[in-house]
Amino acid sequence: MKKWIPIASGLLAGFIAATITFADFSAKTNTEAASSNKSDAEKVYVPFGQKDDYYLFASGGHSGQMFIYGVPSMRKIRTIPVFSQDSATGYGFDEHSKKLMGGYTWGDLHHPAFSETKGDYDGKWMFATDVGNSRAAVVDLETFTTKDIIKVPNTAGPHCAAFVTENTEYMFLPTRFAVPVGQKYESLDNYSQNYRGVMSAVTFDEKNVKLNIAYQVALPPWSYDLSDAGKKGSADWAVMTTYNTEEATTTLEVNASQADRDYIVLFNWKELEKMVKEGKYEDVDGQKMIYPEKQKGGIYLVPVAKSPHGVDVTPDGKYFIASGKLAPAMTVFSFEKAFKAVENKDFAGERNGIPILNYKSVMEREVNPENALGPLHTQFDDKGMAYTTMFISSEVVKWDPNTGKTLDRVPVQYSPGHSVAAEGDTVSPDGHWLVALNKIAKDSYLSVGPSHPESMQLIDISGKMKVIQSAPVDPEPHYAQMIKADKIKTINVYPKDEKNKDAVYKQNDTKIVRKGNEVHVYGIAMRSRFIFDAKAKRPDVIEVNEGDHVFIHLTNIDFDEDITHGFAINSYDLNIEVQPGQTNTIEFTADKAGTFPIYCTNFCSALHQEMNGYFLVKPKQ
Amino acid sequence: MNDSSRKSTKLSITSSLLIGLSAILIVVSLFFPWWKMVFYAPQYPEGLNIIVYPNKLEGQIDIINGLNHYIGMSNFGAENFPELSYLAYLVGGLAVITLLTAILRNKKVLYGLISIFMIGGLAGIMDLHFALQKYGTNLSPKAPIKIDPFVPPIIGQNTVANFVTHSLLGTGIYFVIAAFILLLIPVWKDRKK
Repeated sequence: MKKWIPIASGLLAGFIAATITFADFSAKTNTEAASSNKSDAEKVYVPFGQKDDYYLFASGGHSGQMFIYGVPSMRKIRTIPVFSQDSATGYGFDEHSKKLMGGYTWGDLHHPAFSETKGDYDGKWMFATDVGNSRAAVVDLETFTTKDIIKVPNTAGPHCAAFVTENTEYMFLPTRFAVPVGQKYESLDNYSQNYRGVMSAVTFDEKNVKLNIAYQVALPPWSYDLSDAGKKGSADWAVMTTYNTEEATTTLEVNASQADRDYIVLFNWKELEKMVKEGKYEDVDGQKMIYPEKQKGGIYLVPVAKSPHGVDVTPDGKYFIASGKLAPAMTVFSFEKAFKAVENKDFAGERNGIPILNYKSVMEREVNPENALGPLHTQFDDKGMAYTTMFISSEVVKWDPNTGKTLDRVPVQYSPGHSVAAEGDTVSPDGHWLVALNKIAKDSYLSVGPSHPESMQLIDISGKMKVIQSAPVDPEPHYAQMIKADKIKTINVYPKDEKNKDAVYKQNDTKIVRKGNEVHVYGIAMRSRFIFDAKAKRPDVIEVNEGDHVFIHLTNIDFDEDITHGFAINSYDLNIEVQPGQTNTIEFTADKAGTFPIYCTNFCSALHQEMNGYFLVKPKQ
Repeated sequence: MNDSSRKSTKLSITSSLLIGLSAILIVVSLFFPWWKMVFYAPQYPEGLNIIVYPNKLEGQIDIINGLNHYIGMSNFGAENFPELSYLAYLVGGLAVITLLTAILRNKKVLYGLISIFMIGGLAGIMDLHFALQKYGTNLSPKAPIKIDPFVPPIIGQNTVANFVTHSLLGTGIYFVIAAFILLLIPVWKDRKK
């Protein structure tokens, strides 16, 4: 007799009985019900130990920085300095970031753009442009630090950039201001003949972490406002809005608002790439410049209601939606119809040598929500529904791009420029959250005088739209992007780099080397001391002669997450930081004789206050 | 059923297999940590580890050393534990002797082996204890933070400044204990009836 049979069947029966009695098969529906019953406060409350579901990357506008927030808590997590100096992180002081800054002290960081794979954020890189000094940058999302900056010639103010193509083949930088090629002096009387709105196709070399300009396009001297890359079936194409097709040269407020229609520039970047490969371009100061009136093809104009701001491609890649700004309407255009019009040469003449597609042939529908004014920019949810910010009527309008029907609307305080939905400009938006980036916040927070911060309002879009949280933000988020938190994989400490000649990982390897009037310090920072020369009588002292050229290479040998050290020389106007495991260099001339304390600026330990040394500069004899 | 005809000093085949298995477990133990100490502090809720293998130290040794200098403790490091350079060979040798015991199937040899085991185990415990005592009591008089000398236990909990340390046996030592038990089974199984 097999004895185990009755025992095993008894146990099994017991398990089944227990499961039926105690297991909660309705667990899933219960939590769902609970989440929809949550109060607004509960929806945004993220208790200690839990983390937000999304990162929000907001452009910092003329602060030159990028702001990182958590959603739904709307807590600010970090500021990433990109185009402006930041003494808090030593950005613009250490050699690497000083070189990146290229001598500029500020920037106007506009649209942030994540690197993409198959039209979806891959969480690896973040790109941004500088309207203030015509630059583009890339930020590494392993460390949240700026890795490369490129100055873009022939262009002045890449505003509606950056936008990346489906697999980050290119980042396009159209420009807000037209200038003559080379930004040479030219009378404004010759604006239409000699000025150009040059767009740049920037590539990113991921291996070497370098930005490069592949080619440029000398578009007509108009202002290019917003842009978006196609998706899926339209992935080879991109669209951007224009204003001042009047080519006005003064008082644009009036003079650029005269024509009833401006254009959307529709271009095929694969075709432009092919033209460059075939040599159909002109060499302009080392740049490959396509002149659309000479090197024909690949670029078309689509008439649109005057002075549009945003143009956004639907997640399925079938439509692009222009927001009228001065016209109270959104216009839905069909890529498919546009392709047909291009194929059939269904043109309504040319402008500046570029064919104009027939409006009627490309337009799908005009959408005009009642009393909505100043549509600026559109985002999408997981069902493909559109959310458009209304700058003038201060609201967000939800509508169906397939029917044009208005579905919902919610007032915001006040004047939203852009909005950002969870992964809302990708091929697969997440829905649930939308943040309105408001320009005016005068009633929202404790007063700080005549000027107030901007505001970011969190809107729950999972049901009827509702503003549930409002967070102040420094000037000035234009666009932002919101990425699912688990897509970003940061590192905890910088790995040892044995190839780095400036790095020192052992206390006993520290040294100070003199070569003529150059002094090279190979030092370490650790809790809670500096060691510049382990064998010296005082290891934390650097002594040089007046006029010496000083290089201080400092490695943080605390390979411990969040143990960052600072390094400042009092009265020498210098401060850098070294993150855990990082090596940084500061280079300067010791042009002031005297005694200058060195100290750690980033609070590191209980004996941080003792983390000092001296920088002694012997006067010239 | 096997040994009615044999001398009572001969171990059974089953016992031999058990001793053979014991030898295997001893070898396996070399690949797992034998002992570890986990340090918890308010700012290290995830814990910092010193993990001791027969032949190496692992864990956040540099971070722990960095912190220990505040109380004047000398550095942990493989260079301060010469045991790590030969312990693996001793353990390997023990495995070889165990295997030989399995092959010889001689009770006296087995008793000898059990004795070696016990002496070795005791020596190991003493060695660890003295090491802990050395580190905990030999604190630099110039340390920025002065604390009373202490001896962390081999198993259990201890509090030093903001750190609570937990000393734990590692997987490897459990293999060794299992190996030891496997050696005891034949003693009982092949006892004189």
